[in-house]
Amino acid sequence: MSVAETPFGQRRRRREDAPLLTGTARYLADLIEPGMAVMRVIRSSHAHARITRIDFAAVAHDPKCLGFLSAAELPLGLGRLPAFDLHEGSAAIHHPVLAGDVARYAGQPIAIVLARDAYAAEDLAELVRVDYEPLAPVMTVHAALRAHAPRLYPELGSNVVHETTQRVGDPEGAFAAAAADAGAVIIEQEFAFPRVTASSIEMRGAIARVEPGTGRYLVHSSTQVPQVLRDQLARITGLPRERLRVVAPAIGGGFGAKESIYPEEILVLLAAMRFGLPVCWTEDRVESFTATVQGREQYVRVRAALDANGIVTALDADCLADIGGAYALLSNTPGAAMATLRGPYRIPNFGSRTRSVVTNKTPLNVYRGAGYPQATLAMERILDAAAAQLKLDRAEIRRRNLLQPEELPVDRGVGYPGCPRIVFDSGNFPACLQSTLEAIDYANFAARRDAAAPGTALGIGLSFVVEMTASGPAEPARVRMCADGRLELLSGITPIGQGSETTLVQILADHLGVSEAAVVFRAGDTDLAPDAPGTFASRGATMGGNAAVAAGNVFVTAARALLAELRNVPLESIVWDAGLLIEHGGHREPMTLQALCAFARSAGIDPLERLDVHAEFPDVGTAHASGCHAAVVSVDIATGSVQVLDYAVTHDCGRIANPLLVDGQIMGGVVQGLGTALFEALRYDAHGLPLTHGFGEYLLPTAATAPRFALRHLETPSPLNPLGMKGAGEAGCTGAAAAIVNAVADALTPFGVAPGCGPFSPDHVLELLSAANSKKPRPC
Amino acid sequence: MEALQEEWLPLSMTVDRALVNSRVRPRHLLSDVLREHAGAASVHIGCGQGICGACTVVIDGVPARACLMLAVQAEGCRIQTVASLAELEGESVGPQGLTRLQTAFRHHHALQCGFCTPGLLVSTAVFLSRNTAPSRDAIVDHLNGHLCRCTGYANIIAAIESLAK
Repeated sequence: MSVAETPFGQRRRRREDAPLLTGTARYLADLIEPGMAVMRVIRSSHAHARITRIDFAAVAHDPKCLGFLSAAELPLGLGRLPAFDLHEGSAAIHHPVLAGDVARYAGQPIAIVLARDAYAAEDLAELVRVDYEPLAPVMTVHAALRAHAPRLYPELGSNVVHETTQRVGDPEGAFAAAAADAGAVIIEQEFAFPRVTASSIEMRGAIARVEPGTGRYLVHSSTQVPQVLRDQLARITGLPRERLRVVAPAIGGGFGAKESIYPEEILVLLAAMRFGLPVCWTEDRVESFTATVQGREQYVRVRAALDANGIVTALDADCLADIGGAYALLSNTPGAAMATLRGPYRIPNFGSRTRSVVTNKTPLNVYRGAGYPQATLAMERILDAAAAQLKLDRAEIRRRNLLQPEELPVDRGVGYPGCPRIVFDSGNFPACLQSTLEAIDYANFAARRDAAAPGTALGIGLSFVVEMTASGPAEPARVRMCADGRLELLSGITPIGQGSETTLVQILADHLGVSEAAVVFRAGDTDLAPDAPGTFASRGATMGGNAAVAAGNVFVTAARALLAELRNVPLESIVWDAGLLIEHGGHREPMTLQALCAFARSAGIDPLERLDVHAEFPDVGTAHASGCHAAVVSVDIATGSVQVLDYAVTHDCGRIANPLLVDGQIMGGVVQGLGTALFEALRYDAHGLPLTHGFGEYLLPTAATAPRFALRHLETPSPLNPLGMKGAGEAGCTGAAAAIVNAVADALTPFGVAPGCGPFSPDHVLELLSAANSKKPRPC
Repeated sequence: MEALQEEWLPLSMTVDRALVNSRVRPRHLLSDVLREHAGAASVHIGCGQGICGACTVVIDGVPARACLMLAVQAEGCRIQTVASLAELEGESVGPQGLTRLQTAFRHHHALQCGFCTPGLLVSTAVFLSRNTAPSRDAIVDHLNGHLCRCTGYANIIAAIESLAK
């Protein structure tokens, strides 16, 4: 008997690559056809202004103009975007589809025009006159909290739209005890996380038209959540769900920014309905910098108490999240950041207060990591500061505070919407730390630092992440027999570039014992894919994989039942073995699925109807992946330029279906985190107008910034799902900024520099060095 | 000015193996015309600002960003997109319909969403045709003309290094 290679765990090359490599994949913009009306959005040119008049007179009779809309033309009741996970007591500040009376950020949609081509649409948009009465912009959370600050929503009486607290143990008592203990230390630091944008290279876009043949509306969108979009389009337009079909074509990156429901997705449909035309819209890069949700911005003050041995006895944090001008889909990012602040460290006493504050900026939403990168950076910076004060090695202080494997599972006593109770289900944090220390050669770093080239300073930084992955809601999947004899997996997971097709087919084929070539994958089309939550929160492989397995099991039972019925034998006598149906104790040949289908047809039964099954993987709680990161950076003291030389990650996402793709996720995520640490920040002028409109001002990491990677894996299975998996999509991004900022701080410490959060652009590093210059720099 | 904008000018160019005769306005970008008049949907618009490199095509043997050229500037030019990759590599297409470079990208998992990939492939094919044994530094220098948000570049560098000899 030959030992066949089973697919799970293999470094499979991707099934989806050929069309991407040959340029034949079809993204949203490739679906635009001649004759479609092109939509252009007229956007607020003010950060905060009353809209006093919108005048279409100059375009209304222009033969090039195929239609226009403002809030006044929207039917009553239309026009609010969803926000799904609002905490109790959150203010109702849903984003309008089109701004009516007040624009609350530069770039906010105010009106649309339609034309025959994009050039004409831009021309017409220029001619639409919008009169504004400028209002004072509120551009920072600190300004927003001032007693006489302008109110974005005067009826609320405050710019704080949501507040939450978390509490574990007795933080006040622990801080008081530390204050009274001569050997204990209390560390306090403030962190200002810059505002960033996900910057998928494919921008957003949407097309709405009447579907030929059915008369339904067909909407294509570059979205991570086609099923959710379909439901929201139905809610907002009043169309029955059955009259809508939403399809996500090939997606050129998402990173969370394509998880929101956007005004433009609704506007193409409203325009198509109103004007009886197929309508398309694609974002341009300038728009993308204000019209696509942004990420990360938070101000956090963190205080930690440690005993003389470096054990963190208490932690508390006060977080102000700058959520921009309105809610965009989700509000849980700041809550997640605070609920997860303690990371893998025991810390028995914890308190936090989180306030979400509105400002005149683009709405904030999830971006890869969604709160975890900020939490990790704050916690890890605090540990480095404490280690310095207590003269402890930075790895040692972490080792002393890590939760031990025998303490897991552990209920952390906190939660947030989307993860009401944080329970670390699995992991081996000390082993993870040890592995990363070896991978980065931590023990010999001092010698390496001493050998640095003149004019350069080396630094090493560590970080540790425990992150929620594979979250609910329940995930459905459908498996059915195709007429050609193959199996079809219809998944609720919409691929956005991570290789979901390859991974999910590996998992299903492995489970059923069939070849991957015998499985067809489909997703992203609400007519075919089951109703599912979508692709986000590192949930695709684990939730989609376990759902595929669940549907595979139901499929096997259906196939066994069909044969049992046809042969008139008990179900138990038919077993499934690697794609074949075998009758126990019988003398008949094993039967293939194709033979079963033929058999059924001969008996007047439609096998394709019988072998078409749904199943659901329930929401059983959140699997927590973990990972320890380490970065070595080199800072050029003359130019301020920072290069990440080496980057090590030991990651634990449980059992790994495809190590090649998991490593790809981690490396890609690390370099995104590197961008946050070193380059990326959205900037505004005094009037609240954006100064960053493109990749000329907003620098993304390039190939020159890529470090040498050393990736390792622990595979501690999650007990929460049959496959023992945890997610990996955000893993690299969550830990990278923290490790890199710690490394930069380490490199700059001898110069008397106390860096904040970054980004550590050359300019900023030189500023820091020059500010510290009064203290004598130690020559390097 | 208005009149000039509205004027239609004849444009004749070769796109991959086809002669494309079209009429364009002076303001029309080459990237738009390649996509809309020549069916070259692989020319992806990632920024329209000449920075990301997703729309890179090879014009008379030289890689260029199609979003930074007016279509009328391409009059009489020979334009190669990823559909001409085998020619650019000087090879025939392999058994799976992929060239050597495409195969290396797939093998090294040098693409995720694939949006930046066609532009990256054509400029890399030209780069490798001029530098048969480039150093890692030279490869990185070449790649700095392209933004990829998914991969973190390491696998792209590895894929190209595997062909550099």
